[in-house]
Amino acid sequence: MTRVLLVEDDAWLADVTRGVLLDAGYEVNHALHAMAAIDTIDQWLPDVIVLDVLLSGSTGFALLNELQSHADTAGIPVILYTNLAEQFSHSQLTSYGVKRVVDKTTAAPHDIVVAIKAVTNSGGEHENVSH
Amino acid sequence: MNGGDGYEVTPLIAAAHELKAPLALVRQLALRLEDESLSASDRQQLIRRAVLTSERALRLTSDLTRSARLDASLFTLEPINPEQLCRDVASELLPLFEAYGRTVTVKAPRRSSLLVANRDLLRRILLGFSDNALHYSAADSPIHMSIKAGRQPGTVLIGVRDYGPALPAALWRDLQAKLRTAPQPVHARPESSGLGLYIASQFAEAMNGRIGAIRHRDGATFYVELQASSQLSLL
Repeated sequence: MTRVLLVEDDAWLADVTRGVLLDAGYEVNHALHAMAAIDTIDQWLPDVIVLDVLLSGSTGFALLNELQSHADTAGIPVILYTNLAEQFSHSQLTSYGVKRVVDKTTAAPHDIVVAIKAVTNSGGEHENVSH
Repeated sequence: MNGGDGYEVTPLIAAAHELKAPLALVRQLALRLEDESLSASDRQQLIRRAVLTSERALRLTSDLTRSARLDASLFTLEPINPEQLCRDVASELLPLFEAYGRTVTVKAPRRSSLLVANRDLLRRILLGFSDNALHYSAADSPIHMSIKAGRQPGTVLIGVRDYGPALPAALWRDLQAKLRTAPQPVHARPESSGLGLYIASQFAEAMNGRIGAIRHRDGATFYVELQASSQLSLL
């Protein structure tokens, strides 16, 4: 079963996303912030990370830097799930291991499942997902 | 003020950023309701959360409107019992806090001084601080409102204390700056543009008071300090 780590500081949005991912058959773990995500990854290596950018404490980019600095985590595909999709460029994100960007303000719930399938099946080219 | 991307970060732009998150959440909650396999109780919970999230967003829009009309002639300062006001705010927030499984309590000395304030502005400050505490503190941790004598003689301080990991020093310095300045670009601080603090500081200044923050090892206290009333409390 594909393991998905959801890093999202809004508990209610995390509940919605977690429900969608569980319905789709994924094993899901949720971290409220970057530090909790690092602790989780130490115990439970995910196949893919769904990451919010604006987190309490450190930003999602602090976590991305941390992931890139370790051999066992640098290859984990990351999907940014953010309200700020319009502010990131392809070149900014590829060096961080980001494979997809899903815009929270325009995405349908199932879009996150589509993005996970894309990055876990094909390795995933970078792409923005929005409607 | 320049946002670093060559544009000026006005309260309007900061408000747009601040409103994006609750609007996106309401949208996702509504879309989730389309799932016909959800139980009736799950459906009720989603609806309740959408309503409460909308109300949080509406509070921000209402505060913005109020902050644009801070002419002294439009509001009056009066002696206010801070404990009673804190209890009113706690009651108003109860549904939101319960929905998050959190608690907010009021701690007051047996005999607290009246303070001089505008009830509506002070209520908005305390709602904002409590809302912030709810969002940025550790899950399941309590939030306390407290009343005590201020640092300056003849002042009363109302604080909203939250619990969670201490903010890193760099973020704390950013936060201190936000207590004194206009809203920051959204990139400047991970979780907030600082608009809420900016509005709270305007409200406090309009009542001849000030806001501030204290960093604890396990969280933070945001406070407003106002003039005590010379009128004795009869309550």
